[in-house]
Amino acid sequence: MDVFGSFSLLLAFVCAVYAFVGGIAAIKTRHPLLIKSTRQAGMAACVLIFIATISVEYLFFTDNFSMAYVVSHSNRDLSTFYKVAALWSGQEGSLLFWSTLLSIYILSVLIAYRNKNGELMPYVGVVLAGVQIFFLTLNNFVENPFKTLATVGPSGFLEPFTRMDGNGLNPLLQYPEMVIHPPNLYSGYTGFTIPFAFALAALLARYPGEKWIHLTRKWTMIAWCFQSIGIMLGAHWAYAVLGWGGYWGWDPVENASLLPWLTGTAFLHSVMMQEKRGMMKVWNVWLVFCTFLLCILGTFLTRSGVVSSVHAFANSQIGPWFVGFILITLAVCTVSYIKNRDYLKSENQLDSMVSRESSFLFNNLLFLVACIAVLSGTLFPVFSEWFTNNRISVGAPFFNKVMVPIGLAILFLTGVGPLLAWRKTSADSMKRNFGWPLIVGFLADVFFFAAGYRDLSSLVCFFLCFFVFWTIVMEFYRGAKVISARTGMDLMMSAHELAMRNTRRYGGYVVHFGIVLVFIGIAGVPFNQDVQKTMNLGDSLKLGPYTLTLQTADTKVEKNYTAQRMIIEVLEGKDQKQMMMLYPEKRQFQGNEQAAGTMVAIYSTLRQDLYVVYAGQDPDTNLPVIHAFLNPLVKWIWLGGVWVVMGTLLALMPNRRTALVLAGTATESVPAPAPALTASATLREGHD
Amino acid sequence: MTDTSILVWARVYGPSFPMERGISLRSPYVLAFLALLFPLFGVSPLAAQSARAKEVGQHIKCMCKGCDMTAGGCAHPGGAFSGPCDSAKTELRQIDDLLAQGKTEQQIIDAFVAQYGTIAYVEPPKHGFGLVAWIMPFVYFLLGLALVVFIVRKWAMRPAAASPAAASAHNDALDRARAQAARETED
Repeated sequence: MDVFGSFSLLLAFVCAVYAFVGGIAAIKTRHPLLIKSTRQAGMAACVLIFIATISVEYLFFTDNFSMAYVVSHSNRDLSTFYKVAALWSGQEGSLLFWSTLLSIYILSVLIAYRNKNGELMPYVGVVLAGVQIFFLTLNNFVENPFKTLATVGPSGFLEPFTRMDGNGLNPLLQYPEMVIHPPNLYSGYTGFTIPFAFALAALLARYPGEKWIHLTRKWTMIAWCFQSIGIMLGAHWAYAVLGWGGYWGWDPVENASLLPWLTGTAFLHSVMMQEKRGMMKVWNVWLVFCTFLLCILGTFLTRSGVVSSVHAFANSQIGPWFVGFILITLAVCTVSYIKNRDYLKSENQLDSMVSRESSFLFNNLLFLVACIAVLSGTLFPVFSEWFTNNRISVGAPFFNKVMVPIGLAILFLTGVGPLLAWRKTSADSMKRNFGWPLIVGFLADVFFFAAGYRDLSSLVCFFLCFFVFWTIVMEFYRGAKVISARTGMDLMMSAHELAMRNTRRYGGYVVHFGIVLVFIGIAGVPFNQDVQKTMNLGDSLKLGPYTLTLQTADTKVEKNYTAQRMIIEVLEGKDQKQMMMLYPEKRQFQGNEQAAGTMVAIYSTLRQDLYVVYAGQDPDTNLPVIHAFLNPLVKWIWLGGVWVVMGTLLALMPNRRTALVLAGTATESVPAPAPALTASATLREGHD
Repeated sequence: MTDTSILVWARVYGPSFPMERGISLRSPYVLAFLALLFPLFGVSPLAAQSARAKEVGQHIKCMCKGCDMTAGGCAHPGGAFSGPCDSAKTELRQIDDLLAQGKTEQQIIDAFVAQYGTIAYVEPPKHGFGLVAWIMPFVYFLLGLALVVFIVRKWAMRPAAASPAAASAHNDALDRARAQAARETED
């Protein structure tokens, strides 16, 4: 199976090269058969990559310990579930997995557009094949997952060698979320290849800027959605497994996943400028180029370890390849832009600084500044070592100080932007739109201040969250009231109908609502508390309203690990009401003496999480050490993530036709809409 | 949560769980296990590190090169002990000693930087090359802001005649390209 897989990977490379070279020839000659054959070569490359991936999985499932990659990342007792995930637990497999996910996108595009856009598709095919060639080069010649173990035999030659068992999977990765987090994040990274390919293809084919945006709208949203899910799951995994009490540490790998998400989010917004007003065409092209490059850079930072140690850069084989690919892509993008920039001319004007257009510009400014700040902060240790020979650390305190104001400014625009009219917003409409939200934000702050949340940035955050929340509620209410007046449906049904009629706009609001929830959760950070205590049996520790008593402990022997489990009773309040039992664990995995995994026990409520870690035995006393955290409002973050995904799914749905709903309604009995409603209806015109 | 629900929880974890038989610390099994696990003596050195040392330790990097966390917040994920690793503990003790000598937070940070180099401080220093890291986000923002203001002014000054229709009428090449795109693609 290893030879089979290895060979299909090589064939995939050949097919991709043919799709690339043949594609260029097809563009030049416009020969229909050549166009068809290059498209089919592109599809074949994808299928061959699937076969190679299935081969690797087969080697894992059959415990083939003659394969170096299987030995490093699996063992006999590893459960089936994690054998699937073992594919992306190391360098070679991760890069193959990247190719696989990219192939799913490429195959979908090639099949979906096989009879459409005949002139543009050869260009798209060439760009996609180019990206595929890069990853297949890595898969085949740099980080091949099909390497076999060998030893020097009696004859003095290398002979194949099979180990009895493997080293096992890294314990930190033996958690259900690790099975779904990387596929999501990688689907996000790879997914941005599609809008990139269409943007570059449209530029090369000299299409005016709006065409590719129209074609790739859904693809971009899908990629963005996967990226968001991936980031959320990564944060949740860090929270539930790593046992340090937090979910985001501004670690280089986390930052790497955030970078394309920030530019991708900026892109999703500025696309609307182009669709509605024919502006920012050059900007959008570059934004999607940058997002793609950041995806590649993110993969590079994640895989090469360049940031955590500058020396790994020299040792890592993939570094120069990635840098080379990024530079080539940048060069191709720049040259195509310079040659064909005339086709990206902007057409419109605006009248005021206070308008939807300028709010989009500020939105993009903030996302881009956030992105560059995270990028330069992440790379700064490397730069400092290059320039001064001293490595300067850039840790969480730096990112928090820089990103909190930017994040709050973005949150502010989330509320303000959608309510500003295109071109020019009158003072009157501002008063109408923002009066109530300001009051609600202020009331929220009074509530949170009284509840003990007394921290300036948190209070600003709560204020903005409720401000934005109320603007969203008002938008739904106004629209629903208009529909309700016309159709006689109740407000809830009308709101549903409203969302279905303009899914992108109201899906967008739902996403904004999710972001508000995430910000509420983040605003709880300054109020985190923790206690670490070496505990004897029967000992208690107090944390906030909770009293934790270590009752007993036991040992669980599972197939692949042995767990020590602490049994902790949680009492709440002055009356010591019995709340629940918590069972934090420490797992010692087979085959790896040094590494252990924690299973954090979390009692999560909307108000706060009680987060209990069994840290292990105190090395001096052998008593168990319990580390308990009280993290307010964390649950809101995960809820927010769910809303973001639901909003994106709503935005991906096609709009329901208005005529169908209005068909059955009596026309005479419709009351004239109130003046405020007319205004809001007008406001919505031209909105997305 | 009531007693019954605790039992339900217990069952999820399988029959080996002692709660199901009631919590009995006198059970020989439990006693034998505990005797093995927890020889009782001494006061933990973890407790010896003051809360203040942990606070100051939030600004100093754990130098174990394995966890990329602070000395005060080291949880050493994946290690045998999910808490301060040996490096972090040594550093915390060192901080405690320095605190006992009456050193301020800044003096302690300086002492660590002198010992390990600039890498020991988790933030870039606000002088020398480190200052660049702090200034850059503001520079990006100001440059970006200037650009946005410039663009908005440019757009605002654009003559009203430059509506979409008029603009394309003036630009034959763009018009042709648009027509071609419309011909060659479908949505």
